[in-house]
Amino acid sequence: MSYKIGIDVGGTFTDFLLVDADGTSEVFKVPTTPADPSIGVFRGLEAMAAAKSVELTQFLARVRTIVHGTTITTNAVLTGRGAKTGFLTTKGFRDALNLRRGLKEEQYETKYAPPTPLVPRRLIQVVEERVDCEGKELAPLNEEDLKNAVAKFKEEQIQSLGISFLFSFFNSEHEQQAARYIEQELPGVYISASSDILPQIRLYERCSTVALNAFVGPILKNYLESLLSKLGSVGFNGTLLIMQSNGGVMAPESTIRFAANTLLSGPAGAPAAGVYHGRAHDLSNIITVDMGGTSFDACLIKNGEATITTEASIARHRLATPVIDIHTIGAGGGSIAWIDTGGMLQVGPQSAGADPGPVCYGLGGEEPTVTDADLLLGYLEPGYFHGGQMKLDYEKATRIMEEKIAKPLGISVIDAAYGIYRVINSKMAAGLSEISVGRGYDPREFALMVAGGAGPIHAGMIANELDIPMIIVPRGSSVFCASGMVMSDLRHDYVRTCTSAVDGVDVNHLNSLLGQMEKEARETLASENIRPEQIVINYSADLRYEGQFNEVEVSINGKLKPEDINTLVADFDKKHDTLFGYALAGTPAEIINLRLSARGITEKPETPKAVWCGENPEAAFKKERKAYFNGSFTDVPVYDGLLMGYGNQVSGPAIIEEPTTTIIVTPEFELVCDRFNNYVLYPKGADLDELINKLKTVG
Amino acid sequence: MQKIDPILVSVIDNRFSSICNEIGQTMLRTSRSPIFSEARDFVSAIFDRRCRLIAQKDYVPVLSGAAPFALKAIAEHFEGRIYPGDIYVLNDPYRGNNHPPDVTVVKPVFYQDQLIFWTMAKGHLADVGGGGVVGYNPEATDAWTDAIRIPPVKLYERGVKQQDVWDLIMINVHIPFLVEGDLNCEIGACTVGERSLIALTEKYGIETLETAIDEIFQAYENKMRAEIKKIPNGTYYAESKIDNDGIDKDRMVTVRLTLTVEDEDVKYDYSASDNQVKGFINSTYPNTVSSSLISLFTTIENKVKINEGSLRPVTVIAPEGSLLNPLEPAPTTACTVITTEAIVGAGWFALAEAVPHLSQANWNHWAAPASGGLNPRTGKFFGDIHFMSKGGGGATQGFDGWDHMGTVCTLGGLRSPDPELHELINPYLILNYELLPDFAGPGQWRGGNGMHYKWKVLADNVAFAMFGSGIREETAPFGLMGGKAAPCTSQYLIKNTGEKVWLDVNRFVHCEKGEIIEILSSGGGGFGDPSKRPQELVLEDVLNGVVGVTAAQEQYGVVIQPSTMTIDQEETNRLRGGYRA
Repeated sequence: MSYKIGIDVGGTFTDFLLVDADGTSEVFKVPTTPADPSIGVFRGLEAMAAAKSVELTQFLARVRTIVHGTTITTNAVLTGRGAKTGFLTTKGFRDALNLRRGLKEEQYETKYAPPTPLVPRRLIQVVEERVDCEGKELAPLNEEDLKNAVAKFKEEQIQSLGISFLFSFFNSEHEQQAARYIEQELPGVYISASSDILPQIRLYERCSTVALNAFVGPILKNYLESLLSKLGSVGFNGTLLIMQSNGGVMAPESTIRFAANTLLSGPAGAPAAGVYHGRAHDLSNIITVDMGGTSFDACLIKNGEATITTEASIARHRLATPVIDIHTIGAGGGSIAWIDTGGMLQVGPQSAGADPGPVCYGLGGEEPTVTDADLLLGYLEPGYFHGGQMKLDYEKATRIMEEKIAKPLGISVIDAAYGIYRVINSKMAAGLSEISVGRGYDPREFALMVAGGAGPIHAGMIANELDIPMIIVPRGSSVFCASGMVMSDLRHDYVRTCTSAVDGVDVNHLNSLLGQMEKEARETLASENIRPEQIVINYSADLRYEGQFNEVEVSINGKLKPEDINTLVADFDKKHDTLFGYALAGTPAEIINLRLSARGITEKPETPKAVWCGENPEAAFKKERKAYFNGSFTDVPVYDGLLMGYGNQVSGPAIIEEPTTTIIVTPEFELVCDRFNNYVLYPKGADLDELINKLKTVG
Repeated sequence: MQKIDPILVSVIDNRFSSICNEIGQTMLRTSRSPIFSEARDFVSAIFDRRCRLIAQKDYVPVLSGAAPFALKAIAEHFEGRIYPGDIYVLNDPYRGNNHPPDVTVVKPVFYQDQLIFWTMAKGHLADVGGGGVVGYNPEATDAWTDAIRIPPVKLYERGVKQQDVWDLIMINVHIPFLVEGDLNCEIGACTVGERSLIALTEKYGIETLETAIDEIFQAYENKMRAEIKKIPNGTYYAESKIDNDGIDKDRMVTVRLTLTVEDEDVKYDYSASDNQVKGFINSTYPNTVSSSLISLFTTIENKVKINEGSLRPVTVIAPEGSLLNPLEPAPTTACTVITTEAIVGAGWFALAEAVPHLSQANWNHWAAPASGGLNPRTGKFFGDIHFMSKGGGGATQGFDGWDHMGTVCTLGGLRSPDPELHELINPYLILNYELLPDFAGPGQWRGGNGMHYKWKVLADNVAFAMFGSGIREETAPFGLMGGKAAPCTSQYLIKNTGEKVWLDVNRFVHCEKGEIIEILSSGGGGFGDPSKRPQELVLEDVLNGVVGVTAAQEQYGVVIQPSTMTIDQEETNRLRGGYRA
């Protein structure tokens, strides 16, 4: 018997998914221990050992792989408690990092401040040196300046240092020279040089990424080193892999160097889970949605690949490394409803969070929230929230809803609650529209995969608004991310800036840049014990029409032949048209960056198939409850999700209760429990097989 | 009109805003002009069939108030000849546009053969011909020397490209490939918006949407009225000055504002302002309105989005033939920056009498060049505006001004160019791009810091159109409530002989290879008495090198021992007269 474990450290709970060799999985949850998250991790491991009735050491000896998602770096940035970080840059550009290209996000707002710098100005030192825009040295590295900077860093006792010089992606000599000197002079200081972290054009974006890496590097290093040694001391000799923001995983050693790659890894497991569960139905076009207490994370997967972006930011600091393009909006169960001065109902972005939480939690919340509305509409059972661990206060929720929403709008309490339900759903639908319609994709060609405690309550109506024909709610959707981690492959992304016109481009030069990256990738994966046959490499190029300032990423073959260039340009024209409504075929184009993403394919757990339980769900029937559908309360059947099985068929309106989530089957939908024990919802009257076939064949 | 339920109104309002974001994203991602995609100098908007502004995404707010005027002009001009597949363009300031470089592209959106919406993309093109550089001609004396004049014309009719019109435009500009690219980018953006608006109409039907739009306008009008009601009734007066108009170099130009707040209505009356001038700073009425909105919409306590409804309580009066509503054919190109700054400054100063806690000190005034020429390294023509010189924003009660904000017409929405891309495209070597110490207005909350921007020109025959204001003491960014003004900006040309020449604004400079331009750009004004600024914040500014030890003592009354870099408490107490923060 050997196990694979996914561990997702969230804000409130640490989720564990334990998968054994035949694919059977079990879910564990323990409260997160924010001061030292590894305490929670070990509690969970102990709970799993106990469940298997063995000692922790015996248990861990059987664990082959642990995939760990940590938000320790995320929290360091969000709370501003990173390492004491210094920064070294080219003379004349001391403030490029903190000027943030002179942007104010909320232009009309006057009462707010820019983000607190990761590195205060006094810890940013400059050295005389200069490379021009072709990579030629204009001024040598001034050693006197370098000495002075080091003296200042010593005096300030920095723990970490970011280095980013102008045009170092064309010529990294000065940067590397400075890094080597400082390594000797300041032993023990964590050093990130931009030519190692992100050798790519755009100064602020590069500096900010390097500063983020330096800011969180020492913290991640301490955490992972201590976790590894603790795990080792209790008998674990399998592989520990760390979840990355790009949806892949990496060994701890590389993760420590590229610490910034974990900054947005929190929700990054979701797409892998989406791809995995989609594959069960041969579906590769999926929109995943994870709706919890405060936020709604959505991600578009096309042809089995999640969209990647290099335009992310965290706490208003730019992070230019490739990360999964997860669209987050402030909409969750805790989102607060309010009436604005124009008399319009608004929901969010303020959230009551978990504490005080919604009014119905009875923890002191005095503002009506989405969860309160869900309760009043009969979608939630006051006595079966979190499997009965929490009782919901229906009376108080009614009173506050009356006072704060119904009365001011002159409508009934139920209309108010249903109004909140609709407004939040439309906000989420608008979010999905931006990542689909807004990027040239038709949402009707996607299946919606819904997770998170609040997600399956709202999914039906969101799907309706966008005419999405099929919803999948994976079993154990509340540990969606942890399950995605178990499915993730090792992944490393590389980039080289080349800035060359497509006409007359030196294909040999492109191939040599691709070759450099490939060599680095294969070496890194080998060091992570990945065999050559497990390696999959994707190559791409960022193109733009001459004079444009943003690029479109187009995939390419590994070794380019001169005739491939025409195909490349045609692909670029086509993608530009899809994304932006036009193409300028025939006008000069430029290649700006070459990218390579290397994957080490990990073994995936089997998908266990369930036993046929028949169409009739009556074994799971709990009772009838009044819930609000189509303008009135009706008695609807409530089923116990734990007792439902493969083949069970339920017609909306109906409610399925699971310990950590509730699935609302709206009157337009039919629900079936598929052979992987997941729930599939589809419009009444439609033929599910036909529907799946249609979704399979699109683009 | 039948009322629809209030919830659906919120739902549809959300959707309109998200569609405007989609249009904006397309502009941002595909433009070939640094002024669009890097600096974000554009606005995207959607209108109902009656040309009423529903929603907009304004990275540069001075464009947003002007958008409805441009659409109305186009719709009126083509009345009876508006077909599916049409696309219109307009830039003429005397045919509804705000100023020539902000070229307006509009697409009517049809559903089942019925006109239902309009989508608009409007932004600053890298080149609009005329005698100027990137649209700026400080020597212009009329609308023809300003820029090419494009009245409302069709770029496409019923989906067919009107090649003749394109050819006519392209032969009248210096850098056709940039202009053609950006027109295409604007058209693409309108098309992306159209796609989503049609989907929305399929979903809800025209009638429901039209009713919802009326309700949305009513709600925004109510919101705006509630905010205006918080401003005490009264008449408030302010004036602000501009260095010169480019032609009469020694004559300052004055904007005079009488602002009246009466319950839920606001009136901006500029009747006492100067008459129209010879040079390029005349502000078209749409620009005057738009600039007035900036001061109002930034000052109200709870912010309200700009649309047809929220604009209803606002009146703007500017007599024909005046600086703020000139008669054809006065030149207008620089109005969106130079004159807008004066209008916004007057607005904030007047509002500060009524609601000082909500108003703000003035921002850095734009004084820097647009430039263009041939880059010998790339063999291409280039055109760019030197946004990296943007100085500090003004302080407000409770908050320091932001650094590197620059001209108020953008309200900080303008993104500075990337120095590396900048050097790849333009023949420049940047020598300095850093904060400038002691160049902000001191205050309990100080202004955003000044900027020191300096670069070497690597090509011959590069034309610089220096434009702006704020390089004279009278036009330095003002402080409020005891906060002090920032120093004024200075600009220099350092010749190959080493001679350093002070440069006035609103003139051309033709640089030779090796020459250097240096701009010491002012910070923003301060707010509140500087001696009340907490000592530890003053010390932090000193440690960070943005306030000098001398200024800490003279301006803030905080004495710092240079040897230890700590506060001399005794001396500080004595200077601050016992005040201790």
